[in-house]
Amino acid sequence: MASRKSRPSKSSAPRRAAKAPASSRKAGTSRKPAAPTRPSAAPRALTFPTLHDSVTSSGLKVVSAERGPLPMVSMRLVLRAGSANDPAGKHGLADFTARLLRRGTRLMDARAIDEAVEFVGASLGVGVGEDNLSVAITTPAEHFAQMLGIIGQLVREPVFPESEVADARERALAQFANDLDEPSVIADRAMVRALWGDHPYGHDVGGSARSVRTFTRDDVVAYHRERIGPKVALLVVVGAVDPRRVAEAAEEAFAGWTGGPEERRVVPPLARVAQAGRVVVVDKPDQTQSQVRLGGPGYRLGHEDYFPSTAMNVALGGGFTSRLMSEVRVNRGLTYGIGSWFDAMSADGIFAVSTFTKTESTREIIDVSLGEIAKMRTGGIKPGELRDAQAYMGGLYPLRTETNESIASSIADMRLNGLGDDWVLRFRERLGAVTPKQVAAVAKKYCFAEAPAVVVLGKADAVKKQLKHLGPITVVPASEYE
Amino acid sequence: MRKASPKKAPARAADPALQSLFDVHEATLPNGLQVRLLENHLAPVVSLYTFFKVGSRNERPGITGISHLFEHMMFNGAKKYGPKMFDKTLESNGGSSNAYTSHDMTVYYDDFASDALETVLDLESDRMRSLRISDAMLASEREVVKEERRVRTDNDIGGLMDEELGTLVYKAHAYRWPIIGWMADIDAITREDCQAYFRTYYAPNNAVLYIAGDIDPKKTLALVRKYYGDIPRGPVPAAVVNAEPEQRGERRSVIRHPAQSPAVMIGYRGPSARDEDTLALDVAQYVLTKGEGSRLTRSLVYDQKLAVSVGLDWSWRIDPGTVLFFLELKPDSDPQKVEAALYAELEKLARDGITERELQKALNNLRSDHLRELGTNNGRAHALGNYEALLGDWRHVLTLPSAYAAVTSDQVKAAAAKYLVPERRSVVTLLPAPTEA
Repeated sequence: MASRKSRPSKSSAPRRAAKAPASSRKAGTSRKPAAPTRPSAAPRALTFPTLHDSVTSSGLKVVSAERGPLPMVSMRLVLRAGSANDPAGKHGLADFTARLLRRGTRLMDARAIDEAVEFVGASLGVGVGEDNLSVAITTPAEHFAQMLGIIGQLVREPVFPESEVADARERALAQFANDLDEPSVIADRAMVRALWGDHPYGHDVGGSARSVRTFTRDDVVAYHRERIGPKVALLVVVGAVDPRRVAEAAEEAFAGWTGGPEERRVVPPLARVAQAGRVVVVDKPDQTQSQVRLGGPGYRLGHEDYFPSTAMNVALGGGFTSRLMSEVRVNRGLTYGIGSWFDAMSADGIFAVSTFTKTESTREIIDVSLGEIAKMRTGGIKPGELRDAQAYMGGLYPLRTETNESIASSIADMRLNGLGDDWVLRFRERLGAVTPKQVAAVAKKYCFAEAPAVVVLGKADAVKKQLKHLGPITVVPASEYE
Repeated sequence: MRKASPKKAPARAADPALQSLFDVHEATLPNGLQVRLLENHLAPVVSLYTFFKVGSRNERPGITGISHLFEHMMFNGAKKYGPKMFDKTLESNGGSSNAYTSHDMTVYYDDFASDALETVLDLESDRMRSLRISDAMLASEREVVKEERRVRTDNDIGGLMDEELGTLVYKAHAYRWPIIGWMADIDAITREDCQAYFRTYYAPNNAVLYIAGDIDPKKTLALVRKYYGDIPRGPVPAAVVNAEPEQRGERRSVIRHPAQSPAVMIGYRGPSARDEDTLALDVAQYVLTKGEGSRLTRSLVYDQKLAVSVGLDWSWRIDPGTVLFFLELKPDSDPQKVEAALYAELEKLARDGITERELQKALNNLRSDHLRELGTNNGRAHALGNYEALLGDWRHVLTLPSAYAAVTSDQVKAAAAKYLVPERRSVVTLLPAPTEA
């Protein structure tokens, strides 16, 4: 929320640092249905549009919802073709392929695609996460059918010109190099590896310089042929357009689409956090501040622990009054931002804490954070604290129903993860039903019952001697994560 | 130069898609507090924005960054709701809040469930009436802000370059220093400085309140009067003098810092937000960098392969602002070559202008972005405040699309020829330096 700036600006922006770190190479779908409820008086009703289902003759499932008042439409085609599907030795191929979809189709070259979309004031975004690859367009309503046709072209007939593949590879390699100058990006990348190890979720969505360097046009063509097709896709359209027209336009855009797998690949759960009880120090000698990450196991999307864990996390590391924020930032002035969150994916998930502090207080911030998490694990939550957490999220939950984009994202989450069509409408009620006992149970499970993986990015010389007795320490240069 | 006579909102047609969304109720309380209310029942939530007319342009050397540090202090306790109680009360009632400080203003907002309206007005009026600044809270918050400075500036290449550029573009004006302030100044600001600052700038007559969402305007105004009505009016803050001298040639600066690639940031002295030329520069910005098919992205990133990305930030400000270009390069890039390619594009724009199709495309995108910005209560309340603070009237929210539609390609060409010239340019180049062991 908030910083309304696209670029480095002098705006000191909001007083709250971003909570969940957004990796610079991860655009697109939000995997976080977070949120709230007022357990007391009956909450004021939410409005959620009626969903209309159809299926194209090629087998693509379509969900649409008509919604005003603005004359705009948001649509996204979500494919079960995220980075967990990257072939061995080709980490980042899903993301690389996704970026190339818009660089030329049988009918239009990249320039023509850009012009067709951008001339009318529409915007096209391609995003890849661990589970999904999505192509999304937001457009003025009157151009919606034409824009849907373009999404159809991108996924059905990309041609991947050789020169575009070479250029994309060069750009990606430059980006990997420049990422080394982004402390939070590298810390996040190190954390992913420390948590997941060689699990399919264990590499950066964008891969690495080492793997991307090997990409050829054949790799991209094969990935598109094998992983992208109507059987593993869902189209969601929300905005000022009649559902009947959506069904017609979808038929036109996707008739005769073939290819891709029959069903999505099943990813195994995580056996054990790769670096549990170990410390990874990523050396960046020029830093005056350390980026700190702590992480352990979580749960998969759609898991029954979702609501109690969500309530617990609000109290522990969610809002401005959370225990972590209160102890680490307000009482001690150790940081500008600290947050904890559950990251749930289709196969499994993690629970993590992210923060940063000046080099000298690296150990202190780790100890205070671990202390708060241990307190939650052993002591659970007071009824009043739980009520506050439920009220906080319950009050704010309707914010998720304000825009076409957020509604489309909720619909995709509900349908892809089998959460049920009443997910949004019943969310506050379900969250409100959570008891302190349920919170205590999930706290025992997820609040680092086993020692967490610890990642510290900073000046290794100064940091390493502060980290005794947290577990075996490995120091790696930042370039390890290029 | 400060404009002597701010233009009234242009007498243009309101955009029909917006007219129905913007039935705004206005009022001014006897103590000078201005109120704007906007009813919308799509979701049971409300956003409340408070705009204070103070930012880093009101500071002086020695206490740079006080606007922003003070913004933090506004969350640390007042007479009725003491330390930690603002957030605690708000969150436990189903709300969340944040704030930001810019060169020109300090902006606070709350998003909350509509039945918490009265509680939020109580909280907000309490801190406007009777903020309490304790030494202990100031000491702790000062450390928080120093961490913020480390993360945004000291350990961030874009932040370092941006800070350097400000000191090149501005010699006399307060836009010269970073909003977050110099580290030594953040350390030096005292409790007395903060209290004086509060008395000077946080009076109701220096603020505007915007409330958008699931409200009844009549009842809401009555509540605003009840909670804010007794806060005494304050002095009228001193006007900011703009003593910025004319620039007589290009200015350059080099930063050596550990980095993988060189980088270039370029600023041109632009007009103030209320100047006629502002809208033409907005159109130019869209033609140059909006979207993959924009001129600079296509030329520098895709055709010539000189840059990884190119960004342009033309941020409106009360006093003349900066048209800012940021080029992310590759490890083996030659910054001079990239600069030359950029200048060639800017010269072309100033010489040949833009095509009718480019103009239409820019207008289509400006309107789309404008509509998107207005998709939420928070966005609508913020837009009303932002346009009122910078352009003098919230009605620009309604008329902006038609104001853009009146921009001609000749005006865009003229604006490029006037502003994007070497005499108005400042350049910061970052060159990779070996890491100091």
